[in-house]
Amino acid sequence: MRYRSQWVAYPYFVVALLLYGLQMVFGLLSAAKYLGPDPLINLMAFDVTKEIHTNLLIVWVLTGFMGATYYVVPEESRTEIYSVKLAYWQLGIWTVNGVVAVVGYLFGWTEGNKLLEQPVPVKLTIVVCMLMFLYNIFMTIRKSGRWTTTEGVLVSGLALAALLYLPALLQFHNYTVSIFYRWWTVHLWVEGVWEMVQAGLLAYLLIRLSGADREMMEKWLYVIVGLVFIAGIIGTAHHYYWVGVPQYWLPIGGFFSALEPLALFGMAMYAYFAMRRSGFAHPNKLAIHWTVGSAVYTAFGAGLLGLAHTWPAVNKWTHGTLITPMHGHSAFFGAYVMIVLAVITYAMPHFAGREDSSRESPMGYWAFWLQLSGMFGMTLAFATAGIAQVYMERIMGVGYLDTQLKLQVHFLMLIGAAIIFTAGVALFIWDFFRAVPIRTAFLDNTSGDASVPVSSVA
Amino acid sequence: MTKRHTRMFFVGGTLLFAAIFLGMTIDSHRQFATLTNADQITPAVSAGKDVWHKGNCINCHTLLGEGAYYAPDLTKITDQRGEPYLTAFLKDPSQFYSEKQHRRLMPNPKLSEEEIAQVIAFLGWVAKIDNQGWPPRPILVSGGTFPGTGEAEGSAAGVAASDSPVALGQELFRSTPPGCASCHSLVAGVNLAGPSLAGLASEAARIIASPEYQGNATTPEEFIRESIVEPSVYLVPGAMYSAAGRSFMPDNYREILEPVQVENLVAYLMTLR
Repeated sequence: MRYRSQWVAYPYFVVALLLYGLQMVFGLLSAAKYLGPDPLINLMAFDVTKEIHTNLLIVWVLTGFMGATYYVVPEESRTEIYSVKLAYWQLGIWTVNGVVAVVGYLFGWTEGNKLLEQPVPVKLTIVVCMLMFLYNIFMTIRKSGRWTTTEGVLVSGLALAALLYLPALLQFHNYTVSIFYRWWTVHLWVEGVWEMVQAGLLAYLLIRLSGADREMMEKWLYVIVGLVFIAGIIGTAHHYYWVGVPQYWLPIGGFFSALEPLALFGMAMYAYFAMRRSGFAHPNKLAIHWTVGSAVYTAFGAGLLGLAHTWPAVNKWTHGTLITPMHGHSAFFGAYVMIVLAVITYAMPHFAGREDSSRESPMGYWAFWLQLSGMFGMTLAFATAGIAQVYMERIMGVGYLDTQLKLQVHFLMLIGAAIIFTAGVALFIWDFFRAVPIRTAFLDNTSGDASVPVSSVA
Repeated sequence: MTKRHTRMFFVGGTLLFAAIFLGMTIDSHRQFATLTNADQITPAVSAGKDVWHKGNCINCHTLLGEGAYYAPDLTKITDQRGEPYLTAFLKDPSQFYSEKQHRRLMPNPKLSEEEIAQVIAFLGWVAKIDNQGWPPRPILVSGGTFPGTGEAEGSAAGVAASDSPVALGQELFRSTPPGCASCHSLVAGVNLAGPSLAGLASEAARIIASPEYQGNATTPEEFIRESIVEPSVYLVPGAMYSAAGRSFMPDNYREILEPVQVENLVAYLMTLR
């Protein structure tokens, strides 16, 4: 950590990890409801636990992105954050807003629009927080007058994410039209601008961890994000096939959707070739695991498993089945959870005020492998359940409820894998607070002049 | 290839494909009105959309295949269930499905009569959206055929084994419309939205002879024909089948089906002894 104000990332990571833990609670509840029967049906039914599960994911990953950006930008622009105080205010409002939304969901305060359930006041507060964040980052970069491609891609991704949240504020009379614009936010986030954020963070970590040549890495970074958008923008079509749009979205959308994995396989190769050069010599072994893991798991979960059901002739049968959460869980975990955990792991020794950047603990490895195998198991459970569902319900014509009863064994597997995954998450959080306890961290880092560099270790 | 070239690839590619995407968006807007029958979005349909959102329905069900995967898809539900059935269901879902049997149950949505009518109007509008023929075959809430469980097997839906009335009636029974099979199973004791039709011919003879029967049928054939075109003449006991003297079975088969189709159905159903 070269700049004292990079420290502001720490409380962001604390909030992100706590919400990550909470997300597990609601995920486990939802999985148990799949098995049924549900003793909590009148307290919080599936719609509530599922809505909180997905909303917490979005909030904590965004919190992680913002923390990571506060960590990366000072180093890339070689300056302190424009206003540390503003960053704290932003985090405070953001967190309170998130808690209000979750409590609201428990009491039925929702817009009932998938993934964009946030009531209007919550949505507006999100916009305000994003603007505070972007203002702070832009002023930081302006102050230094220096910016790199890596941070440019990262910050542009977040700025575009804020812009693409605006369609979520619009109301449409026609349900088909409202679905059409809902995907401008949801799809163009997770298969567009969030990929920019991931690619930017990946480039930053790979340059740091492998010592790869920056010019080379940034040249290919443009190719990767270029491929993301060339395929991903029109790839929005794979959400449009069956909702009432003109027929031409199917062949055109199918073609570009099938190209989407290219950028993701490119990202995995990007990480592989960068790391091969340095031979995994960096002492932060855990950060290397999470970084390379993110690139590889993205190619599998987002790329391969997305490709598996994106073609219209296949999607016709799989649309709206458990095949979708198979892809959704593994894609989100690989692309966004793992990259945030990679940045957190990379930053941990620096937060602890250590001169060397090594990071290797048995608990850290357990946290990594338990999450990875737990998520792999959940992906398989959803996949096997989804395939059976497609054949029984969609092709043979067995009723929905009767089919779900036949999938019980897969739901048992889902719960088993989810417990393994949750154990990994718990260990990660424990390991984080053990390595960088809140109290010592604050004592060491929050006193003194914020503009003095504390250490020259990268 | 330098960084400047790859930056041009990124900026140029993004702008080009964003422009094509916007073009397709503009053209879609020209067609949305026709594809979605926008002229049929009445105030009731609009209000029903609000009920749909307010109830957070999409976080269990799917609609147009979008939503959560915890409850049945409702895209074509109004083609499969009549308004009286859906009204009674939404008043108290626990009358229709048991958590013990299916391991999940819809909580009571606590809607007013007006809200129920509105959300049914909304779902009726959704069912008519021109969405490239999805789903490719009807998605049923419950029931359907497991091979090897004693139900009629053989020909696939849409193809009659021969042109005998029984074969034509069997094919019609599985087709949508009329969608008989989405509410009636042929397995004894498997009651879906409608009662099981196992042993219907014998059951019909028993009903006609019983003092509860007030209709005009004197033979099992006449009883089955009457039950198809005038479902409320004889009501099968049970709160899940009727309310206020009115059967939940759609009462428009006289208009939907040709007389010869009704006869074919009767011929087929008479084979269920």
